[in-house]
Amino acid sequence: MRGRQVSLLAIQFWKNGFQSTAFYALLFAMATITGYAAYSGWQTYRIQNTIRLHYQQQARQGWENNPDKHPHRMAHYGAFAFRLKHPLSMFDVGMESYAGNAVFLEAHKQNTVNFSEASFSTGLLRFGEISLAMILQIILPLVVSFLGFAAVAVERENGTLKVLLMQGVSWGELLVGKSLGLMSLALLFFVPIGIVTLGLIVSAEIALTTDTWLRYLVLMASYLVFFQVLCVFSVLISATSRTSNHALMKLLAIWLVFFIVLPKTTQAIGGYVYRSPSKIEFETIIEKRLVKEGDSHNPDDPHYVAIKDSVLRAHGVDSVHKLPFNYSGFVMREGERISSAIYTREFSNLLKVYEMQNSFARFMGFVDPYAAIHYLSMALSGTDFESYIHFQKQAEAYRYQLAQKMNELQMRYISNVKPGPTDKPYTISHEHWKEFPDFDYRFVTTSSALRNEYLTITALLMWSVVSFMLFVYVSKKVKTL
Amino acid sequence: MYVLIAKQFIRSKVVQLSLLLLLALGIMSVLIGKQFLQKQERTLANVTQHQQAHIARNVELHREIGLLLYYLRFTLIDKPDRIAGLSIGQRDVNPSVQSVTIRTLEAQLHDTDLNNPSNLQSGNLDLGFVIIYLFPLVVIAFLFNLLSEEKEAGTWRLIAVQSNSTLRFLWMKLSVRILLTYCMLGGILLLAYLILSLPVNRQLIAFILVAILYTTFWFAFCFWVVSFQRNSSFNALTLLSAWLILAVLLPASVNNYVANLYPVPESLAAMVKQRERYHEKWDMDKKITMDKFYTHYPQFKKYGVPQETFNWTWYYAMQQMGDDESLKERMAMRAKIKQRENASRWLATVIPTMHTQLLFNDIARTSLSSHLQLLDQTIEFHERLRLYFYPKIFENAPVKSEDWKKFKPEYTRAENNINITFALLPLFLLTFGLASWGVFNFRKTNDA
Repeated sequence: MRGRQVSLLAIQFWKNGFQSTAFYALLFAMATITGYAAYSGWQTYRIQNTIRLHYQQQARQGWENNPDKHPHRMAHYGAFAFRLKHPLSMFDVGMESYAGNAVFLEAHKQNTVNFSEASFSTGLLRFGEISLAMILQIILPLVVSFLGFAAVAVERENGTLKVLLMQGVSWGELLVGKSLGLMSLALLFFVPIGIVTLGLIVSAEIALTTDTWLRYLVLMASYLVFFQVLCVFSVLISATSRTSNHALMKLLAIWLVFFIVLPKTTQAIGGYVYRSPSKIEFETIIEKRLVKEGDSHNPDDPHYVAIKDSVLRAHGVDSVHKLPFNYSGFVMREGERISSAIYTREFSNLLKVYEMQNSFARFMGFVDPYAAIHYLSMALSGTDFESYIHFQKQAEAYRYQLAQKMNELQMRYISNVKPGPTDKPYTISHEHWKEFPDFDYRFVTTSSALRNEYLTITALLMWSVVSFMLFVYVSKKVKTL
Repeated sequence: MYVLIAKQFIRSKVVQLSLLLLLALGIMSVLIGKQFLQKQERTLANVTQHQQAHIARNVELHREIGLLLYYLRFTLIDKPDRIAGLSIGQRDVNPSVQSVTIRTLEAQLHDTDLNNPSNLQSGNLDLGFVIIYLFPLVVIAFLFNLLSEEKEAGTWRLIAVQSNSTLRFLWMKLSVRILLTYCMLGGILLLAYLILSLPVNRQLIAFILVAILYTTFWFAFCFWVVSFQRNSSFNALTLLSAWLILAVLLPASVNNYVANLYPVPESLAAMVKQRERYHEKWDMDKKITMDKFYTHYPQFKKYGVPQETFNWTWYYAMQQMGDDESLKERMAMRAKIKQRENASRWLATVIPTMHTQLLFNDIARTSLSSHLQLLDQTIEFHERLRLYFYPKIFENAPVKSEDWKKFKPEYTRAENNINITFALLPLFLLTFGLASWGVFNFRKTNDA
């Protein structure tokens, strides 16, 4: 294979691209959509994070401004966790709109994460959202088909293919040259989006860590591989079609099936095959388990009667009032431990069902390159399923710490003697409230995001390898006429 | 002649494949709808059982009615209609079952259902969606080369010479395609009718009418593009781009636009404020809270200001303040959501895909406005419970004096009053306009 021939073919393809007026119209249309997607992504990020930070701070102020109180009152006063958006969500909105934004964290109870964008939606959200990632995943592939369908087929139609081959250009050189030409045209659309994304994350007010840069680089590299695969396939289909018209029809059909119909169906199949419980079912299971393993709100619960006896025996006293710590604080600590363990166990069972539902779409990465890039892109942008679960788990861990901290304060500082009906209630100093830190959301690290996505990464690389193998195969088998 | 055209059309591999794919997806969508309905029914059965057991257990446990009602949850249900299986809409995110205690409502009203966000993101593949999203693609595949295939195969001249009217010939080709698509639509709807055991009522008829008109719109649209008599590649690309714009880009852009134009910080404001306003009362003089409470409910004034450190009258008055003092934010949030809804509806009128989606949801009672109505009814339900239990708590009525068995889940129904004729008008006008323009184009070239 001669480099000069290849680059000549590539340059000629590139120049040809600029010959038609349709190309300029396409450039203009893509620039407009890109501009809007970038603006909208930036706006969403700015508006939402401003709102959420504002209320996170307001809620925290409320917490710190509480006067001297009984610690259990504070456990019910509780805290809020607001889910902050990752800067790269400006690039790929992923599941952001379907995930709740705020959760109330209090003792004894795991509340749902509420106020997702979807819950305020009129039902139009199901058409999807516009984002830079969506342009790269759905629209640019269609543009690539449009730019590439004629690559080889039109030469065949015009009879110039024979001339080229007679002049000593090999099939391999022709295919590589055309693919490189197509790839460079695709880059003309892709590179500006990459630069815009860079601008967006630099504009984000939070400090950019090396982790964000790493995410950005891996993200762009993945999309490069994705477009390499698309360009090679487009040229190969053009080369194996009788006329350019046939090539176009094939490419459009492939786009429809692999970029529109399949992605919409596979998740639905997963959801259909593995049934997930509704909230009421889920809560009923937890309540049942709780009754079985020990309900601290039930004064006659056998588990707590047994605990009481053993605690009294260990301290050598005959009444809970003589214990060196506040006994009801102790009971609540035990109750929180049990109920939280039950919840965590049931929640991870629920997650297992969800993961089974998602597994169909995951494996689709090996059938459909769109699925591979779709999931990888979300994971790297911090807007995927794992990121949301990560938030929920952090919020629950914080809730547990809060409840137990208050229980321990109660055990240590609250008297064991019940106050009379008109006595002032026991309180502890408000100094303790500040000591307990605010909820501080940490994003999933890039390395664990990549570890979660090993399947999709493998799938994407497989596609790249397959495309090269097909190159070799087609250049040996293809016929001139 | 007609039969020949039909035979030739059906023999095409592309036609057979797309019909098969459409049928498969249609059946799948109906099954998904059925599963949704089954899940709802299971939930409802559980709720009824669960509420009874839950009340019985707590009644045994607690001696004080004030403490008992701290725990007791009461359920209000807006049971989805069978037709919701055709257009699931917002019913997956927003629960059809509201379960509340008589404490501060604001802290309970917006609890969402449990959902896999991946499923929500990919969206329910219900029949409504198959009709809105996939049927147009089949219509495009059937029509893009209606005329150009004849021209490109060189048969057009023959036809022009042999038949008296080329328009009549095109009409025959077109009607075969239209008929086949309608048969497909009818077949899938019939399957849905059987599988979901849909009752024949105004809702079903409206759904079918909208589905037919929407499909006809796409025929008119494709016919209009074809009437410019360009080649197959041009038509295919134009139609597919138009589909991309109508079914993907425009709705997505409108969505982003409306979401950013009307963000809903009021929801978070209400959530934070109700907590603040309830909890601060613990540290205030009881008289302040009780005065406010008696201003709201003068009928309870006789219970006075309690002297003990803790008292249930005071406790529920404090809880009430959580709602009363965050009411402004609740109303503001509601107004914001209404604004959102109006904006999307207004923009959707001129975009058939979005308009049809909203119509389907309205017909199936799965829209956002149905949910808003359910929220209103929940507020009413909650108020009713409060007014019933408040005097009992304030008088510390014995727990056993109440017949707890009578508290079964209550059913309600959020009605959607849509004027279907009026709602169909924009679709009808668009269809009629495009079809006439197409005919005009053909007439012009015929005369020339």
